[in-house]
Amino acid sequence: MSSILSVQNLNKNFGNKHVLHDVSFDLTPGHIVGLVGPNGAGKSTLMKTMLGLFNYDSGSIKIAGEKVTPQKHESLSKVGALIEYPGIYPFLTGWDHLQLFADGDHQLIHIQKIISQLNMDSFIKRKAKGYSLGMKQKLGIALALVNFPDLVILDEPMNGLDPEATKELRDLIISESLKGTTFLISSHILSELQRLAQDLLIIDEGRIVQQTTMHDLLASQGKQTIMLMTSDDKKARQLLKKAKFKTTPDPRVEVVATDDHTMPEVLHLLVEGGVDILDVTRLEGNLESSLLEVLKQSRIKKRLAEEEAE
Amino acid sequence: MWTLVRQESFKLIRKNSTWISTSFLVGVEILFAFLARIYPKTFVPANMFESLYFSRPIINFYMIAATATIITMEFQYGTMKQVLYRRYSRGQILVSKWLAIFLYTFFWYVLSTGIALLMKALLFRHRLNIHQGAGDGMSIFTRGLAISAASFLSLWLLLSVVFLLANLFRNSAAAVSVGIIGYFASNIVTQLLTLLIQKWDWAKWNPVTMTLYPSMLAHPGYYQPLLRMQGWQMCLGNVIYIAIFLWIGYYVFNKRNV
Repeated sequence: MSSILSVQNLNKNFGNKHVLHDVSFDLTPGHIVGLVGPNGAGKSTLMKTMLGLFNYDSGSIKIAGEKVTPQKHESLSKVGALIEYPGIYPFLTGWDHLQLFADGDHQLIHIQKIISQLNMDSFIKRKAKGYSLGMKQKLGIALALVNFPDLVILDEPMNGLDPEATKELRDLIISESLKGTTFLISSHILSELQRLAQDLLIIDEGRIVQQTTMHDLLASQGKQTIMLMTSDDKKARQLLKKAKFKTTPDPRVEVVATDDHTMPEVLHLLVEGGVDILDVTRLEGNLESSLLEVLKQSRIKKRLAEEEAE
Repeated sequence: MWTLVRQESFKLIRKNSTWISTSFLVGVEILFAFLARIYPKTFVPANMFESLYFSRPIINFYMIAATATIITMEFQYGTMKQVLYRRYSRGQILVSKWLAIFLYTFFWYVLSTGIALLMKALLFRHRLNIHQGAGDGMSIFTRGLAISAASFLSLWLLLSVVFLLANLFRNSAAAVSVGIIGYFASNIVTQLLTLLIQKWDWAKWNPVTMTLYPSMLAHPGYYQPLLRMQGWQMCLGNVIYIAIFLWIGYYVFNKRNV
């Protein structure tokens, strides 16, 4: 399947500062891709460059096979985006905004559909100058999605959203991706991204340090955790400590599984020690710790390469 | 392109300032029409009609502000990104803003001319004949139209500079200030300009001279020998300078990071 977005050997400088280094990746249609990395890693610069807001020094950006530059970017008709924060005209209503940016056929149907999907009916006819942060964010997302584009680029989309709105957005993203829309989402709310993204692009210091799937990243870090509910947590912790099992600092009883044998060994130990097991849950590795580990390894590798070069 | 012009016009129409300033313009025209009716010796009806009842300076000031804000508001509200990351090229976006402001200026001139004709019909039906000769083979009405056309052109010379500055500084205060200073500059420096032109003939080709085009038409025989220019030269000079300033603004807009 051809990629909806292809970035090849992209380099970008701000004066003497090299901010994007040979960035290359492809996005598969219909996938939800997370773009993650620390502050200043180049996420926003990369997104802005892909959207034709920044010039670039070398490389290529293609959307559905058509080149994107700041001067020429007709293929952006297939793209919806929300970058940094939603741009809102205070003198217009939410409806006016959607009317202004809706394109192509069936505009009214698209507007009404997105309003109902994001539950915006209660405020959409009010002037935007009175909107809360969450309302503005919803409007920004609605503007990105109103034309039901093939590719949606969202930078921190959950900013300012309450739990209900976050769930509505998550459901909307999943349902649209199932229909074939590709999402590239940058977010620091990693727990939310872990629930959404199938693929990951990890960026650090302007370089893509890893392009992987969420499943592979979590599995590769080997940090599955077994969470236990017991009749006597204190005693369970003592037994585990004595048997030299690795536990987490969590107040619940949690054991880090090093291999497939950990679970039966733990259960056996506790039962023999007279502790009743009320419930057992196997927790997957989490994105936060996995990401930190990848970044740590990548920086070590980079430092070693620099030392070798010297 | 027309979709973009329609979108820019939509934003202008939804601004309260558009309707407040339009009401203000109509109010000023009506006020000066009544003053001309009550005090015809101070506010000579024929002159007041030619000046569209003092509406041109208001149009100039408001259009300078509207031009600066059509660019700078996009930066101020953070909407420039949204405007740009669509299928339209940067050039199309900027040209649509030029066209929206051009149509807006045209609307104001048509409106103020319409109000002036209405005031003449209501208040000066038997006291003012706008078809009587006003010198240079023109009637009061045709001279009024000619001054409006020249004023429109020299206003656009200022607006092309305002477009450029708004692009460069992303700040409406700077662009508006320079526009208003530019508006007054031509009258303030006329004497100095005349001296320079008398000494060096080529000095007449500067943009400030071009802004005196409406004054030249309003005072036939006065400015022509001082500036050593014909009407058609002023007209052409305005068009060339407008094209130059707009092109520089276009170049800057295409090159900048947003």
